[in-house]
Amino acid sequence: MSGVKVLLFGAAADRAGTRETVIPAEGVTLDELWPLLAERHPDLSPMRGTLAFAVNGEYARGDARVFSGDEVAVLPPVSGG
Amino acid sequence: MFAIVEGPIDVGAVISAAQRPDCGAISTFVGTTRVDESEGASVEYLEYEAYRPMADRKLEEIGAEIRERWDVRQVSIVHRAGRVDPGEASVAIVVASPRRGPAFEASRYAIERIKEVVPIWKREVWSDGYVWVGSQVGTRERVDLP
Repeated sequence: MSGVKVLLFGAAADRAGTRETVIPAEGVTLDELWPLLAERHPDLSPMRGTLAFAVNGEYARGDARVFSGDEVAVLPPVSGG
Repeated sequence: MFAIVEGPIDVGAVISAAQRPDCGAISTFVGTTRVDESEGASVEYLEYEAYRPMADRKLEEIGAEIRERWDVRQVSIVHRAGRVDPGEASVAIVVASPRRGPAFEASRYAIERIKEVVPIWKREVWSDGYVWVGSQVGTRERVDLP
């Protein structure tokens, strides 16, 4: 299945009930991708303001564009150490 | 050396590996898992999750940032993933420098940056449920969910 691969971590994976999903989208920004993800996993919505995103392993802003085959990571506030 | 490891961190080995004749100081920071208690419940263990390989790369970037700022000759950061029992080392930072000042400052910088940018998450597993630290999402009844 082609599309944007979305990985979820920590509390976001918990809320979504999955660690990975594929969203059929092409050339959309992260801000545009979010509603598609939240529609599938409504329990994620309350976390929106706390989340950061990475595209292919690097932090990315909401206006970053993603394409089929890209890997988007949904990152709750980090808590290492 | 930058590593994310599943098993216990051999802190002594990380320090030994940083000893160099051109350095007069090795500063070591070891973060250990602390047991909190509240209202009759307590933390049984912690569980760390990392987004790899991004987390590995971010550790290396912190090392590069340190080398830009201070005269250090060796930086090692080892972070645990998976289950970590109370009192165990969850992270070890070892910095070798010709002088003690940069070694102290750089090791402090490293732990602060880890807590800002490295995609690692910690889950406290309590006797009555769990909590994702930082998100306050979990199964403990007393936790205020967003």
